[in-house]
Amino acid sequence: MSAITLTSLTKRFGEVLAVEDLDLRIAEGELVALLGPSGCGKTTTLRMIAGFETPTEGSIRIAEREVAHLPPERRNCGMVFQNYALFPHLTVQENVAFGLEMRGLKRSEIRERTARILDKVGLKGLQDRRPRQLSGGQQQRTALARALVISPAVLLLDEPLANLDAKLREEMRFYIRELQREFHITTVYVTHDQAEAMVLADQIAVMMEGRLRQLGAAVDLYRRPASAEVADFVGVTNLLPGTVRDRNGSRLRLETAVGLLSAEGGERLRPGDAAWLSIRPEDLELGQADGGNQIRGTVRARAFLGNLADYRVELAGGQLVRVQTAPGARQREGDEVVLGFKPEAGWVVPR
Amino acid sequence: MKLRIAVTLIYAFLLAPIVIVVLAAFNGGSYLTFPPQGLSLRWFDSFFHSRPFTRSFLFSVELATVATVLATLIGSGAALYVARSRSRLLNLVQVLMIAPLPVPGILTGIALLLFFYATGFATKGWPPMIIGHALICLPYVFLVVSAVLVGLDPSLEEAARNLGAGPFTAFRRVTLPIVKGGIISGAIFAFITSFDEFNISLLLSGVGTVPLPIQLFDFLRFSFDPTAAVVGTISIAMALVVVLATERLVGLESLYWGAR
Amino acid sequence: MGGTEVRVRLWLAVPALAVVTIFFVIPYLNLALISFYEPSHRAAYIREFTLANYRGTVLDRFTWQVVWHTVWIGAVTTAVTLVLGYPLSYKLSRASSRMKGLLMMLVISPLLVGVLIRTYGWMIILADTGLVNQLVQALHGPELPLMYNDLGVLIGLVHVYVPFMVLSLAGSLQAVDPDLERASRSLGAGAWRTFWRVTWPLSLPGVVSGVVLVFVLAESSYVIPSLLGGFTVLTVPILVIRTITELFNWPAGSAFALLFFAIILGLVWAFLEVMRRPLQRLQ
Repeated sequence: MSAITLTSLTKRFGEVLAVEDLDLRIAEGELVALLGPSGCGKTTTLRMIAGFETPTEGSIRIAEREVAHLPPERRNCGMVFQNYALFPHLTVQENVAFGLEMRGLKRSEIRERTARILDKVGLKGLQDRRPRQLSGGQQQRTALARALVISPAVLLLDEPLANLDAKLREEMRFYIRELQREFHITTVYVTHDQAEAMVLADQIAVMMEGRLRQLGAAVDLYRRPASAEVADFVGVTNLLPGTVRDRNGSRLRLETAVGLLSAEGGERLRPGDAAWLSIRPEDLELGQADGGNQIRGTVRARAFLGNLADYRVELAGGQLVRVQTAPGARQREGDEVVLGFKPEAGWVVPR
Repeated sequence: MKLRIAVTLIYAFLLAPIVIVVLAAFNGGSYLTFPPQGLSLRWFDSFFHSRPFTRSFLFSVELATVATVLATLIGSGAALYVARSRSRLLNLVQVLMIAPLPVPGILTGIALLLFFYATGFATKGWPPMIIGHALICLPYVFLVVSAVLVGLDPSLEEAARNLGAGPFTAFRRVTLPIVKGGIISGAIFAFITSFDEFNISLLLSGVGTVPLPIQLFDFLRFSFDPTAAVVGTISIAMALVVVLATERLVGLESLYWGAR
Repeated sequence: MGGTEVRVRLWLAVPALAVVTIFFVIPYLNLALISFYEPSHRAAYIREFTLANYRGTVLDRFTWQVVWHTVWIGAVTTAVTLVLGYPLSYKLSRASSRMKGLLMMLVISPLLVGVLIRTYGWMIILADTGLVNQLVQALHGPELPLMYNDLGVLIGLVHVYVPFMVLSLAGSLQAVDPDLERASRSLGAGAWRTFWRVTWPLSLPGVVSGVVLVFVLAESSYVIPSLLGGFTVLTVPILVIRTITELFNWPAGSAFALLFFAIILGLVWAFLEVMRRPLQRLQ
């Protein structure tokens, strides 16, 4: 188990800048998720750590040792590929034993360690099967076993759950988390699914267009996003455009098309700056006027989702906002409503 | 329904001469008649006693073997390079590798003849024939091996590297076993291409280095003797072996080793 | 991965590239060069620049007759191959995956037997004393001259090149979604109309590549016109080979060959130009 430090990591493919000036430190035993939409550079970053891409600039240190010039086989990372990359011509046993063979261990020891890890991941009895004879979940666990059995310094996972169905994916999330905690192994986990990142990670690194936008725990990213893009990517939000009027301590007041609103955040913003007010659908209340902000609008659509009611409300000026409330809400399409929210629930980011 | 009849007739058209040749080889009479004049192996006997034919048959087999080994080695190498490379020259390399295919065979033969003459290299005999045959076999090996490599998941080799295998070990333990069938398939195609090759041989064959197709051609210009049909039957049998072998190799490949 | 690895990988391709460059590209350049040299009786050629070879070829009426004849044979072959190959390809593309393999094998296996053997088979069938004539005469019909003439050559060429046409068409036809045809039928179009308005236009790319491939191959054929044409059918490849191997006039032979293939490429280019707009409409 070792820490990973990325410094000014950059990767250029011809004209395209896939990763730009990335600085990231992952502590020992931590699981950091690289989260972002496709093309944001998260997979490229992972591949650079693994050694399948050479950085254009910057350094990669694993346990304080510079590895950027080392070929993949000398980096001691265990990687789980998106499509598992199980060797189709080898059995489960031979797949898992592969890394140990490369390290020149004795046959008896290889057999023992392979048997132990297969038992641990619940694949006992399947060691003589070939990958194509396994279910998706079993293939996944084989790939995990193969990466873990070599006791790597670092575990790298490239969207390992993308090919599983929804229910299995949820189960496997917790499973991977437990396994990682038990082995206490430094882990980098690439995903585009923010719910997955929020369940699994100690820290989430949100990447967009090659740059690191924000690093923090799930709750920080959700409640205090650094930018409109992050606010929009992590969870669902409503973004109201406005201009900063003034600041009072932690409270900011914003001129918007629907009135003067009070919220928090926008640390580096000054009066006159353009900004977005981010307010999550669950923080908007229908028809309350609770001493906080109030906005008028007309209900345009309503959907009953079992545990929630999902509303689309049109505000003055035409913007459509999303509201989620208790399922018993009475308002219907066409109704004029007042939406309220507490200033603490609103978060301001630059525009 | 009409389509099915038409298709059956066209297939019959495609296979007719081949069937006829096999019938002629076993026919008792000296030319094929309706109805056939009884079965006989006399033409096989005639073939095996004909020194020109047996010699050219052996020569063709030897030549095809050498050309195949050469073409397979260098063609597979080129295919590997193309499959794993990101170079901007890639298109050029690919075009060069398949260029001998669409270009008319006789033109290539002529070009080689003139080239060997101009460079003082032998224009007849083993060396020019090996080069010429290897040249036309190359595109086939390249195409077949390339196709198999395209279906090969690149992350398999990466996984091997990640687990501690160096580049050669990864190739040997992971890529090669999976791609093996494709390479053998390409080699088989190359062999039969060389064995059947006429145009290049026409211009570069010399005394003592006459491959079977040339021998047959000379024979057929003046004679109708069904001994030629025996040659045909052997060729057809070889073609069948190729088809079945490829079916087994590449068929087995996609079935078991998921190279898709 | 590292720079050294990329360099090692390059060496994989070097032998092949060397062979193709030295024994293919350069010989062709040399061929072009020799077409400008003086022919000679004492040596293969004299290294003196001249346009006489080209001039002689272009001014010779006989040459143009042969060229025209060859082009005509190629065109007819291509047309017939298209008509025969299309239904085959269509059936192939609509067959179940099990049948597909078998049908494909049946189409490809003739290719593996070699031109010579298949031509020989046709000789047995088409000769004056061959199978067809035996049958016809048994029915008291006249003797049909099916060999040692253009007809025999055409039959042989069509037979050899149908598989190539089928393979070219198969790709395009495979991509035509059967639902499109069903939609057309449901809208009231009969089988033929559906074919002309839906299937045919969508298969055009395959048709174009098949036509070009077969035409070029048919133009360069030597074995079939020689054997099935006897000494009466004269095509450009036969003439070229004769000029080189019997008359030993390498410069003239080279010039003629290059000129001819330039014409062929010109025809192909013209064809592709004509086809450009119909193909673009598919984009």
